[in-house]
Amino acid sequence: METAVEQTMTSRPDKPEPTKWKRAKKVFKGHPMAIAGLIGVTLFILTAIFAPLIAPQNPYDLAKLDILDGLLPPGSRLYDGTYSVMGTDALGRDILSGVMYGLRISLFVAFTAVLVGSSIGVLLGLLAALRGGWVETIIMRAVDLKISFPGILLALMLLAIFGTGVDKVIYALIIGAWASKARLVRAVALSEMKKEYIDAARLAGLSDFRIMTRFLLPNSISPVLVVLPMSISGAIGAEATLSFLGVGVPITEPSLGLLIANGNDYLLSGKWWISIFPGLVLVAMVLCINVVSDRLRDHSNPYLRAKD
Amino acid sequence: MLSFVLRRLGQSSVLVLIMSILVFVGMYVVSDPVAVLASDDFTEEDRIALASELGVDRPLIVQYFSFLSNVVRGDFGTSFVYNEPVLPLIVERLPATLEVAFLAIAIGLCIGVPLGIYSGLNRKKKTTKTISLLTTVGYSIPNFWQALLLILVFAVWLKVLPASGRGDTTTLFGIELSFFNLDGLRHMLLPAINLAIYKICMQTRLARSGTQEVMFQDYMTFARAKGIPRPRLIRRHLMRNILIPIVTITGLELGGLIAFSTVTETVFNWPGIGKLLLDSIHNADRPVVVAYLILIVMMFVVINFVVDVLYALLDPRIRYT
Amino acid sequence: MMEQLISVNDLTIAYPMADGEIFRALKRISIDIHRGQVVGVVGESGAGKSTIGKAALGLLDENAVIETGDVSLGGNSISGLSESEFTPIRGKRIGYIYQNPMTALNPVLTIGEQLLETIETHTDKKGKSARAYAIELLEHAEVTEAEDRLSKYPHQLSGGLCQRMVFAIAICARPDLIIADEPTTALDVTVQKAVLDTLKKLAKQDNIAIILITHDMGVVAEICDYVYVLRYGGMVEHGPTKQILTQPKKDYSRELMAAIPRIDKKLARFAVPGGMSKTGNRQRALDFLLDREERSAIAKGEPLLSVRNLSKTFVTPANVVSAAKEFKAVDNISFDVISGETMGIVGESGSGKSTVGRMILGLHTPDEGYQLTYHGKDLPVAKSRAERLELSKSLQCIFQDPYSSLNPRMTAGENITHAIKAHGIIGRTAAHELAGNLMELVGLQRGNVRKMPHALSGGERQRIGIARALSFRPDFLFCDEPTSALDVTVQAELLNLMKDLQEALGLTMLFVSHDLAVVRQMCDRVMVMKSGQVVEIGDCDKVLVNPDNPYTQGLLKVMPRFSFDEAR
Repeated sequence: METAVEQTMTSRPDKPEPTKWKRAKKVFKGHPMAIAGLIGVTLFILTAIFAPLIAPQNPYDLAKLDILDGLLPPGSRLYDGTYSVMGTDALGRDILSGVMYGLRISLFVAFTAVLVGSSIGVLLGLLAALRGGWVETIIMRAVDLKISFPGILLALMLLAIFGTGVDKVIYALIIGAWASKARLVRAVALSEMKKEYIDAARLAGLSDFRIMTRFLLPNSISPVLVVLPMSISGAIGAEATLSFLGVGVPITEPSLGLLIANGNDYLLSGKWWISIFPGLVLVAMVLCINVVSDRLRDHSNPYLRAKD
Repeated sequence: MLSFVLRRLGQSSVLVLIMSILVFVGMYVVSDPVAVLASDDFTEEDRIALASELGVDRPLIVQYFSFLSNVVRGDFGTSFVYNEPVLPLIVERLPATLEVAFLAIAIGLCIGVPLGIYSGLNRKKKTTKTISLLTTVGYSIPNFWQALLLILVFAVWLKVLPASGRGDTTTLFGIELSFFNLDGLRHMLLPAINLAIYKICMQTRLARSGTQEVMFQDYMTFARAKGIPRPRLIRRHLMRNILIPIVTITGLELGGLIAFSTVTETVFNWPGIGKLLLDSIHNADRPVVVAYLILIVMMFVVINFVVDVLYALLDPRIRYT
Repeated sequence: MMEQLISVNDLTIAYPMADGEIFRALKRISIDIHRGQVVGVVGESGAGKSTIGKAALGLLDENAVIETGDVSLGGNSISGLSESEFTPIRGKRIGYIYQNPMTALNPVLTIGEQLLETIETHTDKKGKSARAYAIELLEHAEVTEAEDRLSKYPHQLSGGLCQRMVFAIAICARPDLIIADEPTTALDVTVQKAVLDTLKKLAKQDNIAIILITHDMGVVAEICDYVYVLRYGGMVEHGPTKQILTQPKKDYSRELMAAIPRIDKKLARFAVPGGMSKTGNRQRALDFLLDREERSAIAKGEPLLSVRNLSKTFVTPANVVSAAKEFKAVDNISFDVISGETMGIVGESGSGKSTVGRMILGLHTPDEGYQLTYHGKDLPVAKSRAERLELSKSLQCIFQDPYSSLNPRMTAGENITHAIKAHGIIGRTAAHELAGNLMELVGLQRGNVRKMPHALSGGERQRIGIARALSFRPDFLFCDEPTSALDVTVQAELLNLMKDLQEALGLTMLFVSHDLAVVRQMCDRVMVMKSGQVVEIGDCDKVLVNPDNPYTQGLLKVMPRFSFDEAR
């Protein structure tokens, strides 16, 4: 017994600092659903990037379409002899190809909007926390103004005002994305500001810019990174909703939401595939992102982590 | 307390004022009501006459102030499309929207909260993992596509529930309600479920994370150490604590629910204010859109205030300081 | 022979860790307790002492594994009972007193409800009679206005009162045993004494056995009959309190006793291992630190810093139910810090002692009408960058909480030298070299330069904090409770280090602490503060030995202590 105590008295063994990759692996280890989600997200992104290479048909090339192929159910043989896995729409467009191209637009819009919007939000949130006073008042009142108004309504309004188009949808979603991030970052940064290492930095006479970039930002950013996937899936859903309501992307660049809207009219007459397949892909993609997002959030939750 | 109320009131009025300017200017830019209302055979003179009849030929600032002074007197203008005063137009559609919204909240709370507490208490169980997966799926299906699926399954394939419209209503205190009427209830069910799915998922997660957090607090360990039986532990110590975030967030989410009712009402052709808004946007019916948005902002201001007061009443740490 | 009440036999408790290893919180521990006995379980953090209490109550975390042994109560083993089998034991046979009374009580339920539910669960008293009993219990625990307190919420009462409520809850069913886990750690020393007395009284009157889990030898000396000393989950030694305190047999116990700061006599250094040598890299670090510019011609013995009419009022903004409130944290105080001395500020929580320092450092703005003179210049200095930097170089701070005073996203070395690099005082390579040298100077391995703060212990982090403050080559250090978050042996090592550094570098220090004994060991002069005001100021030998002011006298009287002279 004595020797056991003596042994543990010596200093703790020096373990090498785990690398970022190892830490990332630990987050997903033992969570098959999350791993599946991660793989799914990767596949969707790859499909979107390489859609022109792998899609059976270019849905924008009207010369390739044949009206005789219109409204064929899944698995039908097309006029040119190929098979259509997901069927065709009224113009004879292959649904699978449409979905692949739609994926591109949906993902592009969501990623751009959320990344730009979040960056703006993070910057404003940090600024508010660091500067306080009227800077904070103006930023936070603007946040309140934005948050007191549901995002989808706001986007609807903005699109009604500025007209539709891929760029307009992105602007509307940026305006939808920044405020919550600003609020989140400010809250975290404010609690960080109370910690003594910020006092130490101030006492060292460091500039506000340096304190913001080297001290506050790295210590306040994680909660935003954790909610980022959820924001992206939310933006995908919002874009789809807007396009479905007819105020989103134009008919020349159909996203998944618009494809669903196009099929909506045929739904009651039993031609379900036009609307259902793009919807299934949309849901699958959002689900994959959300599963990953859930894992990240659980992992960052100290109450759960303590017992993991 | 009084100074707080006054300060909030001041802040809120500024908020409403800013919103009204944004909305008004925005809608001014959006489109020309004359172009929408004029028929093809209108001459230039007819157009000018129509513009002055509608009052849209005056400078923007004049229009805004005449609008503002009218609003203060309770006059939000006349709809270009329906040719009726806007306020009654919105108010008469409001019960239909609220009815569905409250039913959805009720469904969300009754199903979500117990599920959430159950999963918070039994972290390791299979059922918990299933619930958790289901809420993620529920979160992931966009509202409008859920609506399409509901219609496809219940109206097209099973043919048990109607796909659109409001059905019969019962008049209660001068308000038309579907709730007390079997046909109305049948019509209401799909839109309410559509709105409720998201609510259920949200409440489940809220209650689950609340439960997990509270169960780790020192006072829960101490309550266990006192030998308090588990039913009481959950009923008093746990519930009383997680009630606070649930009540506040449910209140704040009421706004989101009404926003999403634009989608639901459009798909189910439900005659509420959401559908009115979307139709008005498409028809460039400026007075309706402006009035709707200003009323919505005012409603949010009231809801936020009530939630703040409620929060203070529920949490003794704020009530007595 | 007294009846054996509860015994822990050969208990080993293990936690599987995320990386596949197994952490043993307790290793083959055996403890026996008899009725009417107060047993102390002492140890520093990580000793596993709280785990014993949790094991006896079945409150271990879900993933804990009992590898060997068990706990038996009245001869029956109670390890491995289910939650529902444990419920009737908890509160009824074993009462529990929690570490922090402010978090042990449910914030949204009234005190009355929390006490009454326990009474109604464990006794046959219901409704009115339960209420009468509750009031009787509170009066027993020396709570005034007992009836009125029942309708209050925990946050409306002070820490000391909350702890008495917790006592009342713990004894309401007249249990055989009470487990008190650090019952006074969260309390001020004046409250601590009264709370301990109450605990002792309750135990003796009702013949209740008490397990007192603590890190504080003073508390043990005060009320325990028998002591077990634990370290890293293992038993070091045990015996009657007097024997352990006066004639410890094992090295660790001896070190533990030697590390306790004493109030009666100032020692040159604590008799703990480790000390500062001046060889090689350490000397190089010292050379760097001594190569500082002379700031003013203030001779030793002259005031380096003088503070006049310093006040600070904090304003709590209005919320839903209450208007804005003002709170005067510091109320018109004046004092001097003499060049080369260590000046102490001592006081209980809320006395405003840290606020004074933060105002001197410029982290808080004082109320109008003050005068701060440092090196013959008025503070705060003009806002020009150069002048601010000049002040930063001269005036530095060692912070209270080693867990929050380092930037978690920078390596230890970067934490030390980031600021002086940013100011261009030193180049990249020289900074790396200096970080290593400074770490050796403060008693750390050079290799720790690349570690992130979370990989270091509290004591190690505090050393990094000291190295960071030193990197500016200051001549004045403000120390804000630098050891209050640390274990007593670590504290002793750190205080030794600070004395060494002060000697080598000729530093002037302003040392804030709540611990009179620490101040006695560190400071030449001391200022006693209470509710923002100065109570007494003077030489430590006078103020902390034979004070004039009744408040200081009271503080000295209530602080737990045991006679060290017996110990030697």
